[in-house]
Amino acid sequence: MKSVSELTDFYYKNLFPTLQKLENDRKNLKHRIVFVAVTMTAFFIFLAYSLGNFYEFILFAYIALGGILYKYLVHDYTHEFKMSVIKPLVHAIDSTLLYSSTTHISEYFFQHSKLFSEPDKLSGNDYVKGQIDGINIQFSDLHAQKKNQNSKGRDTWSTIFQGLFIVADFNKHFKGETIVLPDTAQSTFGDLIGHWLQSNNAARDELVKMDDPAFEKEFVVYSSDQIEARYILSHSLMKKLLDFKHKSKQSVYISFIGTHIYIAISYDRDLFEPSVFHSLLDYKVAMEYVKTLHLAIGVVEELKLNQKLWSKQ
Amino acid sequence: MSTSLIVLVVIVLVLVLMYNSLVSKKNQVENIFSSVDTVLKKRYDLIPNLVASVSKYMEHEKSLLENVTRLRAEANKPNLSDGEKIALDAKITSALGSIMVAVENYPELKANENVMHLQHTLHEVEEQISAARRAYNQSVTDYNNAIEMIPTSFMASLMNYKRKEVFTIVDAERQNVNVKELFS
Repeated sequence: MKSVSELTDFYYKNLFPTLQKLENDRKNLKHRIVFVAVTMTAFFIFLAYSLGNFYEFILFAYIALGGILYKYLVHDYTHEFKMSVIKPLVHAIDSTLLYSSTTHISEYFFQHSKLFSEPDKLSGNDYVKGQIDGINIQFSDLHAQKKNQNSKGRDTWSTIFQGLFIVADFNKHFKGETIVLPDTAQSTFGDLIGHWLQSNNAARDELVKMDDPAFEKEFVVYSSDQIEARYILSHSLMKKLLDFKHKSKQSVYISFIGTHIYIAISYDRDLFEPSVFHSLLDYKVAMEYVKTLHLAIGVVEELKLNQKLWSKQ
Repeated sequence: MSTSLIVLVVIVLVLVLMYNSLVSKKNQVENIFSSVDTVLKKRYDLIPNLVASVSKYMEHEKSLLENVTRLRAEANKPNLSDGEKIALDAKITSALGSIMVAVENYPELKANENVMHLQHTLHEVEEQISAARRAYNQSVTDYNNAIEMIPTSFMASLMNYKRKEVFTIVDAERQNVNVKELFS
């Protein structure tokens, strides 16, 4: 697999002509957005001023209309960007991978991972699917939301999970379910109370205490089988997962169910979207696309999922 | 009157909870040990097969093979205590390890499909044993903590609960499995 620096080279060398063209589109788009925003704001201020009432309603309409207009304006640019930048980047890592800019990981996998509660709405994009070293892998950007009703009876949406969701074949056979979550209770409430809270989590299986202090500090493990959890989470895998977590610099949720490993990396934004207000040639912007893709596709190599155990050959 | 009754009820409740938690910890240890036993047996069952396949070639390592066969016979004796089983397991692990190292010196053996398959199965079983051992050690640590920490320590001494031994994990096991080395 290509390294991050090789991919960065690819981004700046091979994609340079495309990026330059896109960069022009971006500048035009930026001007258009600024123009539309100023006109719209002026119109709404005028409206509010002349009506002298309904401020709440006007503000609501302003935000809603602004959102719709923004999406409409960036639509073509986004599509162009994904097809001429993200898609070639994915193929540069492995040419056999399939990329779709509009679909996402199916709800079946999201639910089957048992990492999060059942969502009322699941959306996402940038779906990649294929085989790396004979291991099936798929991932996409995902946003799972839950519907709540506030005191006024109005619907509000809260986020269950937003970020990168990866599904891959796992290299060991197992029957039970093992779930690895970020250790929030122990870091918030301290060891004693945190541990007590974790062992009394009714929604999860038995708590499994792992014998790697560094891993135990970052994660909490629940499993239907104490021994199987340790069979899956060998010392070397625990170390690799810990490294993976540090590399991603985000909260990481992992589960082992059926024949799969599920990895959810929480980001607070939509990934692989083109930047509108920063240059596409900006190093930081480029690195984010490259690093995120490299992290997701690199899971197979990083966790050595391609080293199958004998019973699974 | 009523306050002393409440105090009494609370004391009894606490005692019952302490008693139950100790019993559940002890049972957890026994429960996991029986799983350890199962995977250990799985490995013992592989030994005669292994010895039969390699003995033809390994003329110079007869003593190694005899040693592992003897250990297996010992391990299959009934009425072994948990401590004895733990000690035997450590011996068998190192004996099998030295056989595997010796196999490396025989190119015919390394190419033998039967031996290769046995090696793979043995390796898989070792992984399972290692997992079971780690689970056992954790449950024993929980149990030992409970019988040594206040307040459950008083209850434990009344119930005559004793410290249990853990498996010592060999350093080599903590290291990464190198598949390339196995094939080379």
